[in-house]
Amino acid sequence: MSLFVDAVGFGIASGAVIALGAVGFTVQFGISNVLNITYGALMTLAAYLGLVLVGWHLSVWLALVVVAVVIGGISVAFNRALVSPLVQRGASPFGLIVVTVAAGIVLQYVVTAIAGPQAQTYGEQGNSSIGVLGMTFSVAQVTIIAITVVVMLALHLLLTRTQLGRAMRATASNRTLARSCGIATDRVSDLAWLLSGMLCGAAGVALAITVVSFDFTLGATFLIPMIAAAVLGGVGQPYGAMLGGLVVGLVTQITGALWDPSYQDVVALGVLIVMLLVRPRGLFGAAWSARRLLA
Amino acid sequence: MSSADGAAPRIALAVRALAAGYGDQPVVEGVDLDVPLGQVVAVAGPNGAGKSTLLKAILGIARLLGGRITLDGADVTRLPLQKLARLGVGYVPQLDDVFDALRVRENLEMGGYLCTRRERAQRFDRTLTVFPQLTPLLERYVETLSGGQRKMTAIARVLMLDPKILVLDEPTAGLSPELSRMVLHEQVRVLGDLGTSVLLVEQKAVAALEVSDWAYLMVRGRVVMSAPAATILADPSMREVFLGGAGTAAAVEGASR
Repeated sequence: MSLFVDAVGFGIASGAVIALGAVGFTVQFGISNVLNITYGALMTLAAYLGLVLVGWHLSVWLALVVVAVVIGGISVAFNRALVSPLVQRGASPFGLIVVTVAAGIVLQYVVTAIAGPQAQTYGEQGNSSIGVLGMTFSVAQVTIIAITVVVMLALHLLLTRTQLGRAMRATASNRTLARSCGIATDRVSDLAWLLSGMLCGAAGVALAITVVSFDFTLGATFLIPMIAAAVLGGVGQPYGAMLGGLVVGLVTQITGALWDPSYQDVVALGVLIVMLLVRPRGLFGAAWSARRLLA
Repeated sequence: MSSADGAAPRIALAVRALAAGYGDQPVVEGVDLDVPLGQVVAVAGPNGAGKSTLLKAILGIARLLGGRITLDGADVTRLPLQKLARLGVGYVPQLDDVFDALRVRENLEMGGYLCTRRERAQRFDRTLTVFPQLTPLLERYVETLSGGQRKMTAIARVLMLDPKILVLDEPTAGLSPELSRMVLHEQVRVLGDLGTSVLLVEQKAVAALEVSDWAYLMVRGRVVMSAPAATILADPSMREVFLGGAGTAAAVEGASR
């Protein structure tokens, strides 16, 4: 039983990281309608940038913030230099997926060429732990959960309480109409790529902290549970991705603990496929879509 | 509803020799069109005549292949839609005329995106006095509304922009005859009377003529008739040409009158 409780604790911590990544992935998709597979490789880049900063004796948390900003900038540049010009020239959605897959592979190889293929680590983040309801969390896990909760709340307030956030949702819902209201939808797209990149960077560093040891496959491996979380929540819906992240985290950690950790991803994907057969529009189906944020 | 009286009115929107399409092949060609200040101008014609394409080319959505567009004398050819909004051009598309994923209140707030917080609050109150039926629906998501409520939200949203010129693409499409009548007579005509210039594309030709000052008939991408609406309605032969040209619309008209 305690094994199960511990697994739930790990599931929540892992779910927090997945949610951070999945929300970033889904916000950008919801607004620009481009499936950005490069996201995984950007996450790897984030982990290695974090490594450089930690090497300069920065704390991992400061590194997380700095990397989030840097990856945010790279994400905007990626959109401006590659994605947006292709969209303007009428590239098909399928063509764009191929481009983002290719860019991701190139980026992953560049990182490997510079940093080498060996496993890396930021080092152990202390070993004091905090008990909550019988579950044991490391201080690092609690910090990451706290960061995720704060980021999600901030995102919620941005999207629902500010004119800019409403403009983002309006752009996601109906781009032409948004422009007819005077909304500069290209700027809104930039902002979506920025937010998405920042969440990607934060998730990359948070992931490197939680898995302790990582290599160049970090982002590519993580992309699958993250997309699973986004799809589970209904693609393009940030609240769905938050909950999807938690579900995927719990399912993978509990099967890992009770069965065999090497089947984690298989089980996550199995659950995803069954869920989609039952509810093709994601966890909440049509009922949730009435309350969705990004269409 | 007369307009052919004496002094030439100021022109809010002028279109000259417009050609437009989606590829390189023009769907619309050689169109000259004027919307005088504070008047309602209708463009009628059968399905596929290029009415929507004309509007979309004016608004920078469809591909403009040639011609010139001026707004109150200033050249706005090829200006993107969000810049036109700043110049006071309001647009209600035929389909997707609301933000489905937003609440009614938020739809109106987006309509007033360009104004200051104070102006927005004032226009919000004013818009709700025009559409009191929207008050109990403010917190509803638009995708849960009926067709009539959606159209009302769409028109309320565009009024929040306080447009100098309003471009409406088939505002009655998909609405019941009573609702169509209400939209055209109580909303479009009232706007015209309040001094807003309106460019209206409408398949229901007679209904459109009744609320317009001037009407154009488009067939296969070209303007084939242009006259004061009242003249067309009063002259049996013109009326016949107009309704004949509007084609299938005439049949629909019979049902809605």
